[in-house]
Amino acid sequence: MTTFWKYAKLLGQLGRYTLARELAFRSNFLVKVFVEALWLGILLAFYATVFGKTSLVAGWTQNQYLFFVGCFFALNGLIECLFLENCNEFAELVRTGDLDFLLLKPIDEQFLITCRRVDWATAPNILMGAGVMLLALFRMHWAFDPVKLIAFFVTFGCGVLIAYAFMLTLTAFSVWLVRNQSLMEMWWLFASLARYPKQIFDGTNVAPLGFLFTFILPILLVANVPSNVMVRAFDWRMIGFTLFATVMSLWASRRFFQHALRSYRSASS
Amino acid sequence: MKPPDTTFRPSRGPIATTRKYLKILRASLVERMTYRADFIFGTLFRFLPILTTILLWRAIYKGASGNDETDTTLSGFTYKQMIAYLLLTNISRMFSSMPGLAGGIARDIREGTIKRYLIQPIDMVGYLLAYRIAHKLAYIVGAAIPYLILFYLCRDYFDYFPDTLTFVAFLVACVMAFVVGFFFEVCVGMVGFWFGEVTSLLYIVMTLNFFISGHMLPLDLLPHPWSDILKALPFQYMAYFPAVVFQGKVQGMALVVGLLAELAWSVFFILLARWLFVRGLKRYSAFGG
Repeated sequence: MTTFWKYAKLLGQLGRYTLARELAFRSNFLVKVFVEALWLGILLAFYATVFGKTSLVAGWTQNQYLFFVGCFFALNGLIECLFLENCNEFAELVRTGDLDFLLLKPIDEQFLITCRRVDWATAPNILMGAGVMLLALFRMHWAFDPVKLIAFFVTFGCGVLIAYAFMLTLTAFSVWLVRNQSLMEMWWLFASLARYPKQIFDGTNVAPLGFLFTFILPILLVANVPSNVMVRAFDWRMIGFTLFATVMSLWASRRFFQHALRSYRSASS
Repeated sequence: MKPPDTTFRPSRGPIATTRKYLKILRASLVERMTYRADFIFGTLFRFLPILTTILLWRAIYKGASGNDETDTTLSGFTYKQMIAYLLLTNISRMFSSMPGLAGGIARDIREGTIKRYLIQPIDMVGYLLAYRIAHKLAYIVGAAIPYLILFYLCRDYFDYFPDTLTFVAFLVACVMAFVVGFFFEVCVGMVGFWFGEVTSLLYIVMTLNFFISGHMLPLDLLPHPWSDILKALPFQYMAYFPAVVFQGKVQGMALVVGLLAELAWSVFFILLARWLFVRGLKRYSAFGG
């Protein structure tokens, strides 16, 4: 427990330090927030156009889908805020050999590499996503249910951790690929699997893919389970499996990351 | 010791100039192919959003028709045509997207490294054009096999292969999409002469471009007057226009007018880029070491 508090305190201090840095470039911060708001606006315009032509997409009504969009936006915002920028820099650390300096520090290397900076400019995405979710709940006259709410927060947390595990795995590949094409772009491409309801993987040809990305590489669970729990079917078995998948993903990705670090051959000096 | 030969003069004339830019093209190609594993990894990942987009639109058409996605037409697009359109916009974007171009120009201006173009007998835009063509060639050649496989797997979404004239018009539209995309980004980069930092502007433009170029959905699906407004802007030539030309949705006089308009936008951005460069250099005060 002491170790946990040590790392929590360290994370808090790293967060404070990066906030002070971010506040030195306020206009940059505001522009980033504006771009994210613009992107959310484009997404909402896209789905408004789509739902102008149909009332159901993969069995989701417009308000349910709106909740899903908000949930993914908030979740992705949290991932970007805490981990994406750090993981993105990993390839450069490997290429230049600067990773040596991080490995020498008396602290868990995975923590230091993936959590050392907080990208505060993407933090408002969490609020924007939450706003969209609240709007969807209001429009569908959602009846307050504390069990659903707790299950939502738990599965939302699991979604963040599963996504983190996949990002860590992608990051680890940089050790061998040396110049990872911007991890940010790779992540955007890979996360496209989590961006839509898993019911789109319907039909004999693609159902095996749906199974693969739900039960073997569980990226589809990330935004689907919390959204389902809140506005669609409440399935205990799926919640239980999500908890299991979270533990397994974190364990497997950590093992893979450590294996990658062992293959690292310092490039400098 | 032999003194340096100060009488050396670089060869001039169109052949020497072409050779110079061909050498840049070759060097850039070699650089691009150095990181092959990374390149293949990236190309494979690019197919994931294509897969999910196809599945999403299938769900949308199923929802609109009740159950069978092949039953319905949305704003003149059947399900098959919609998927074919979205696949084709990937080809348009392959020509028109210019990652890192504007940001690179602005960085050269800000850090003063732009002077390497000014003190050498080389035109900055010409150099960047040769460099970019090399990258595009490497990307298109590298992605050709995966794309051929993709289009082969998705062949059922295409009702027929267009006739020769339409196909030539599509190729011309794609090449001009490259010209519009390249010189548009060069113009955005040149803004750096006045504002120093264009990253923010670039983010906004690129984010908007994704939607208004028709990459996310055909512009015809948008309600009036938005579809007409967006079709009057140059951004449609970076994704929408080449795709609908291939599909035979623009024919006859409309096709000629569309291609001429794309040509006009190409010339406009070429001239604007040159004008911004000349005006910008007058303001340029050579910062950096």
